[in-house]
Amino acid sequence: MQADGTGDGAGAMTPLDPAHVAVLRIRFGLAAAAAVLLALPALRMETLPVPAWLVPAAVLLAGLAATLILPVRRYRGWGYREGEDEIEIRRGRLVRLRTIVPFGRVQHIDVALGPFQRMFGLGTLILHTAGTRGASVPLPGLPVAEAERMRDRIRAKIRQDLV
Amino acid sequence: MSAPEPEQKRLHPASLIVRWLKIVPQMLAGGIGLAATSNHEGFRRFILFAMFAALAGALFALLSWWRFRYAIGPGEIVIEKGVVSRQRRVIPFDRVQDVAIERGLIARLFGTARVRVETGGAAKDEGELDMVALAEAHALRDRVRHGARGAAAAAAAAEPTLFALGGRRLLLSGLFGFSLVFLAAIAALVQQLDQFGLVDWDYWFTPARAEAATHLVTLQTTFVLALLLVMAGTVAGVVRTVLRDFGFRLTRTEAGLRRRRGLFTLSEVVIPLRRTQVALIESGPIGRAFGWYRLSFQTLGADRKEGGVQIAAPFAHMDEVLPILAEAGFPPPPPRSDFRGGPRRALVRWAAPWLALACVAAAAAWLFDPRAAIAAIAFVLLALAAMLAWRVHRHTEDLDALYVSRGLLKRRLAIMPYEKAQIVAVSRGPLQRGLALATIAVDTAGAQPVRGIRMADLDATEADAGADRLHAAFRAARAALRAGGGHG
Repeated sequence: MQADGTGDGAGAMTPLDPAHVAVLRIRFGLAAAAAVLLALPALRMETLPVPAWLVPAAVLLAGLAATLILPVRRYRGWGYREGEDEIEIRRGRLVRLRTIVPFGRVQHIDVALGPFQRMFGLGTLILHTAGTRGASVPLPGLPVAEAERMRDRIRAKIRQDLV
Repeated sequence: MSAPEPEQKRLHPASLIVRWLKIVPQMLAGGIGLAATSNHEGFRRFILFAMFAALAGALFALLSWWRFRYAIGPGEIVIEKGVVSRQRRVIPFDRVQDVAIERGLIARLFGTARVRVETGGAAKDEGELDMVALAEAHALRDRVRHGARGAAAAAAAAEPTLFALGGRRLLLSGLFGFSLVFLAAIAALVQQLDQFGLVDWDYWFTPARAEAATHLVTLQTTFVLALLLVMAGTVAGVVRTVLRDFGFRLTRTEAGLRRRRGLFTLSEVVIPLRRTQVALIESGPIGRAFGWYRLSFQTLGADRKEGGVQIAAPFAHMDEVLPILAEAGFPPPPPRSDFRGGPRRALVRWAAPWLALACVAAAAAWLFDPRAAIAAIAFVLLALAAMLAWRVHRHTEDLDALYVSRGLLKRRLAIMPYEKAQIVAVSRGPLQRGLALATIAVDTAGAQPVRGIRMADLDATEADAGADRLHAAFRAARAALRAGGGHG
């Protein structure tokens, strides 16, 4: 794997706020806990070929491993670059996606604050375009002030484009 | 609420009858079960139910007709409807992409038409007036299209014809429209009847009959059956095409291309040129051999039933397609030699999944059942087809537009002027990373999710450079548009 982690041709990409890892960890942790709860009824099953406690234990182990490893991997997959007239967003580790969104094509902008994001003062900038495939491009893990600054800048750009 | 209130109108009274005819069968569908119990009492109940349904339907039709009102204001059309909960919809003229006029058989009987106002929004029913008098429909359309300039501007010079589908050409295009859709329709009908208990399978399919039928399956009967199927499919294709495309005529109007067509249901649509995003030239395997193509435009606000595109010429030679393209402001496709594909190693990605399945099937044939070998051969053939499809998946760029062609049997050439791009994305899956490949996808407004513009499996560095190039071309094209005074 390459050291820069974003594939070839990566310019100076801005990483997300490191606190985003914590948000992802909470989400993965909760999902893992839910999976373990769902696996608990297996304790009652008698026809399993293995000891019954192995099922929730395996789920717990897998959940723990995912919670430990995946958030950092996910976080490293993200990056963005603010250009003069466009924003370039990279995401994904397994399937890597590089998206160029021209500011002139943005129809409206959201700044969304999830419950766990709020705990860390983070938000998600969502750019909506008139297209159909991947028409809404999210950029999570931005400090709220930064997300709002970007939103205002893009808004000003759109207004310029209209005149 | 201030200013002079525009005159409020109701729909044509004939729409009462049409609506009634629409409502009653729906209500009756529930009662068919009653009739199917087939004893005397059940039948009497059904008749009572039918009378009740007819009466209630008439009442409902009358109420909804009474409560439906529309008004054409100075810059907007206002539609009020709803029997219980009222809805008031205001559609400003400058948001209207198109006004389509459609005349079904019943509408023609009464001299009326259905007017559909398309705004390019997400809602299915954006503004529909079903039905108004024909003259009213035309006046309304001219009013909406020409906005404040009024209907006077509409009575312009005669519109030059760009394309027309004559009688013999229409029949020929029907032959190419081979379709077995009617089989699905029959299957659906049988299923419906089955649901109401009107088909007694046990009565028809007795074991004795099944036994007798096995002797009928011979080479001859299979051949004759296949022949019948082909003939039926051909006839169905011709009928469908004639019904839809009878009297097809494409003319140039001030704002776009006007298309009229239809045998029983006449429809009239304007393809607004300002809203066209992508031009598509499609051809089937047989039609292509004879030089027949279909030209359509992906248009914002196009009817989704037709796949978000509007057909400008359903069956035309290339020398007829090119003038329409030029009229619509699209550049002609460059010569074949300008097109290029991805690197040869991309073949691995196109064929590998099928070859892997072929290996699995071969192993199964070896270990379990020799018949799995047939599947293995089929997978190898699919792999070959994928490799051939790779060969025809090519693209090129020139000063004005991006051109992408794909499809082994049904070939589709998409022409996208740079200024129509929305988002450019480069994606690389795990296998693509191993092969240093990447896919560029260009999103456009109103594109069908599965049919978007994609250049699959280019060299990774070239794909990154290509995406940057597309974005630069987009910026340049937009800047040129702005400098030229917006949309002229």
